[in-house]
Amino acid sequence: MLFFEDQDSITTAAEGRVEGIAKVTGKGKYAAEYTVENVCYGALVGSTIAAGSIQAIDVTNAKQVKGVLDVLTHQNKPLVPGFADETKIKESRFGLPVFHTDKIFFKGQPIAIVVAETLEDATYAASLVEVTYTTEKFVVDFREAQASTPLSMAGKERGSMEAWSDAQNIVEAEYNIAAEVHNPMEMHATIAHWISQDKLKLYDKNQGVNNVQRTFARLFDIPTDNIEVISEFVGGGFGSGLRVWPHVLATILAARQVNRPVKLMLTRPQMFTAVGYRPQSWQKIKLAADKDGKFLGLLHQAQHSTSVYENFNEGITRIARLVYSIDNLKTESSIVPLNLSTPTWMRGPGDCTGDFAIESAIDELSYVLKKDPVELRMKNLSLEKSPDTGLPWSTNYINECIEKGAARIQWSERKALPGQVKEGDWNIGYGMAVGMWNAGRGNASAAIQMQKDGSLTVQTAMTDIGTGTGTAMQNIASEITGISKQKIKIELGNSTLPPAPSQGGSTGLSSISGAIVAVSKALKQKLADYASVQDEVYKNATTEDIILSESHLSFKTNGNHAIAYTSLWETHNLNVLEVEASSGPGEERQKYSFCSSAAHFCKVRVNSKTGKVKIDRMVCVADGGKIVNAQAAANQMSGAAIGGIGMTLMEEQKVDARVGGLIGNDFAGYHFAVNADAPLIEVDFIHKPDPNINPTGSKGLGEVGIIGCAAAIANAIYNATGKRLRDLPITPDKILLA
Amino acid sequence: MKPFAFTKAESLPKTLSAKKETTQFIAGGTNLLDLMKKHISQPDELVDITSMLSDKIEAHKKGIRIGAMVRNSTVTLDANILTNYPLLAKAILAGASPQIRNMASAGGNLLQRTRCPYFYDITTPCNKRQPGSGCSAVEGENRMSAIIGYSEQCVAVHPSDFCIALAALDAAVVVTQSNQKNSTIPFSDFHRLPGSTPQQDTNLPANALIHSIEIPVNDFHKNCAYVKVRDRDSYAFALVSVAAALDLKGNTIQEARLASGGVAHKPWRWYEAEQYLKGKEANAVHFKEAAAMAAKDVKPLAHNGFKKLMLQGAIETALQNCLTT
Ligand SMILES: Cc1cc2nc3c(=O)[nH]c(=O)nc-3n(C[C@H](O)[C@H](O)[C@H](O)COP(=O)(O)OP(=O)(O)OC[C@H]3O[C@@H](n4cnc5c(N)ncnc54)[C@H](O)[C@@H]3O)c2cc1C
Ligand code: SF4
Repeated sequence: MLFFEDQDSITTAAEGRVEGIAKVTGKGKYAAEYTVENVCYGALVGSTIAAGSIQAIDVTNAKQVKGVLDVLTHQNKPLVPGFADETKIKESRFGLPVFHTDKIFFKGQPIAIVVAETLEDATYAASLVEVTYTTEKFVVDFREAQASTPLSMAGKERGSMEAWSDAQNIVEAEYNIAAEVHNPMEMHATIAHWISQDKLKLYDKNQGVNNVQRTFARLFDIPTDNIEVISEFVGGGFGSGLRVWPHVLATILAARQVNRPVKLMLTRPQMFTAVGYRPQSWQKIKLAADKDGKFLGLLHQAQHSTSVYENFNEGITRIARLVYSIDNLKTESSIVPLNLSTPTWMRGPGDCTGDFAIESAIDELSYVLKKDPVELRMKNLSLEKSPDTGLPWSTNYINECIEKGAARIQWSERKALPGQVKEGDWNIGYGMAVGMWNAGRGNASAAIQMQKDGSLTVQTAMTDIGTGTGTAMQNIASEITGISKQKIKIELGNSTLPPAPSQGGSTGLSSISGAIVAVSKALKQKLADYASVQDEVYKNATTEDIILSESHLSFKTNGNHAIAYTSLWETHNLNVLEVEASSGPGEERQKYSFCSSAAHFCKVRVNSKTGKVKIDRMVCVADGGKIVNAQAAANQMSGAAIGGIGMTLMEEQKVDARVGGLIGNDFAGYHFAVNADAPLIEVDFIHKPDPNINPTGSKGLGEVGIIGCAAAIANAIYNATGKRLRDLPITPDKILLA
Repeated sequence: MKPFAFTKAESLPKTLSAKKETTQFIAGGTNLLDLMKKHISQPDELVDITSMLSDKIEAHKKGIRIGAMVRNSTVTLDANILTNYPLLAKAILAGASPQIRNMASAGGNLLQRTRCPYFYDITTPCNKRQPGSGCSAVEGENRMSAIIGYSEQCVAVHPSDFCIALAALDAAVVVTQSNQKNSTIPFSDFHRLPGSTPQQDTNLPANALIHSIEIPVNDFHKNCAYVKVRDRDSYAFALVSVAAALDLKGNTIQEARLASGGVAHKPWRWYEAEQYLKGKEANAVHFKEAAAMAAKDVKPLAHNGFKKLMLQGAIETALQNCLTT
């Protein structure tokens, strides 16, 4: 369970990631890598039609394969209490009632799981399951369905649309973004093990163990504590692990049926339909400004896809209410049901999509107004208060992000008119955009166990999905207690540890940091309490009065009234000193609004003959409050920026309207950005703590790194070529045809 | 994946005589294993031919011979190739990833199958995979598909980069037939157009082996280039690729070669444009004219109209690059 077990790794890992050595040596175990005695293997069978129902499933041939233990379908599955009837299914909010319906909602929907002694047997047998269907009409073409889906108000209207109907400087345009998949490197996997009739142990890839635990406790009607979920190492998530997906339940049911632990790992093609994706979207923007550039009004309309069996709304227009002060604002949206699996949150959900349209439109307006897009934005930022809640920002340094970014990329090199700079067949241009995200915080708990040698183990249930959570926990605990990082171990990603929210929505560090500060202080307090028996001076000591070192605690200054841990431990006959504490948001949430923000600047070159876009430079400056660990934070930003490059230039989950499903759903067909597509991302921070958000002053960074990237690149392409591209991804063909 | 037997080939005669319709040779396995995992190839037996075929690059008077088992990355490191046939290395380096190139064999590269997404999805109709079932791409998602030489039955493109360079350099494929006799197939005849039998990619006789690839001596080593336009800059197949080679005397073109990938069911030579360039000055005006000449015959499908412009641009760029890189 420990991130690292031997002394060596502790001493060397402190400067980098706490889990770094375990990861690169292969010692760290991802969900599918655990060995569980008597385990057998599952393989999912997906429907080959997009809509209709199952007439018959013939498993005869599949069962002939040597090693096959059973094949689960809707006809023979063990009943899930939470799916007992239609009402319960609805109430469960689980989405797809896997194996509890004969209805088909999308192509690739899991309709059977084959369980066998080996993965090979299971996979082969899965190919022999024969299904006959009654087919129905399906809808998978978003563009077609979207046009006939009405919009409705999304949030309160500000001012009126009439107030700016005669505005002189106006842009009106539509923007489209293709569906994108998360596809983290580690494919989703589960090992389900029923320890007894009502005790379940899961090794599972997800972003929140407590969420998984609660979900199955409800579905199976068993106490939460009877379920242990282990997700100690998570090879990326990007939002795909924020929900509990049908394949996990399928594995649990299979384990129940064969009465053995079952391991299931999704295949790469299955990853495209099993764990959500960023939905395809359409947006329309109407934006006007007076001659000085003050925004007069904004109309933001948006639609995105969802599935036919579930409503998912990611809130594309939210960002319209966040960044700028606009007196007249109207936002409308709707979701468009398709015969595809349900989409979900993907890095910068909603805002990333909405931001592309708004920040592109602002750039378009800047050319209409003949104003520098940096100045235009600066003029309209809402720096004092949130335009949506009306509450003052606790901190908002988006203006400083813009200034710092502009200086770094040498924005003054940018030409005001497009298509001015050429090098051979290459056109060169600059672009920028900003991004913002509501900075949230949840309730989180953490525990510390202290040994008499002064070493600590800091624990929480929160997962570390590659974001550096464990490392940040170590940094904070060391800073508050004074104990060196080398002596602090981290344990996380296990539901038996103190509960914490899921790692998502840029709230991970914001939430857990409060708990780590609280528990570190609790430790000091507890030591002071024990110490007061030996030395009166500690009687009324506060945590600020106490200083910890490797071997002893002291009062006010190191060495003053020093008491060695060994002596404390002996006096009080201690074995391990244990403290636990929780921390969460409070009334500051009524007083302030909170945001993280970023400014993205880039320099691109566009080949006029081949349509190729190369990004020469990308500068991302973020306000993430106090930066707890500079390396991990920069890593979040550059990873997000490369995700942004993928979103802008190549990512597209293709749907074939005739086939009724995805095509090219593998890594040969779906392109995400690789190193060759990205320059070295130049990351910088504002480094100003937010005094109100949590005890460390740090705000989340995971989302703002990507929000704004797409518009910055598209705006740079316009500056380079005079071609305005409003449909993502901007592949070479679109450049050539524009 | 369907269970299969695995044997290591010991001798050529034994291997050839034992080869059945349901047996398949495996070299690097980088394409075949994917096809098996996706239930597109379902052999009963795999015969590993890696230790039975030459992995040598041999120079001789008339040219150079690349054994069928030479790994793709070996081609890119060979001194003789880098000096005298650099176009081959340039093309290979524009494809796949270092790991795949380390595994992939020269013979296997010639026989890799199309990347048409429907071909890889057994739930969709595809004449190449299942003759007679129909072509999903012709009226479906055909952004990556052919713009020349296709038929109603199949609009898929040939995916290899290496083969485009081989086509440009007038290579030939030496094959060992089941009767153990060697014969030579000119490269231009090795791959086929789909016609009404798209299931057949090449003219390699049934149960025959690729023995080696011959490339004749040429004067293109100083001025050659490979341009590959793709959706991302590494590890992606070509939207359009161009192998260009010029034999220059001063600035006058003695001979020109132009071949493209991503446009047809086989590596495509632009003979008319080559002919046009012969005797001309190497300059942008002539390059542009040659590119237009190549592009005039193409007939894009619903979603790949851009390939005409891209082809033109890529040919111009490749010819230009012949002078600089
Ligand atoms: C993710 C990915 C990306 C790729 N990207 C590119 C790219 O950008 N450009 C590119 O050109 N290629 C690309 N490739 C393809 C790669 O070049 C081929 O897979 C490789 O060249 C095949 O060689 P192999 O030895 O592995 O063939 P195998 O997979 O072993 O065999 C392929 C076929 O050839 C047959 N075969 C092999 N050798 C012989 C022989 N000597 N005689 C008769 N039959 C034989 C086999 O029976 C089989 O049918 C990519 C591949 C992958 C997996
Ligand atoms: S183009 Fe060829 S490979 Fe693609 S679907 Fe049609 S027949 Fe199959």
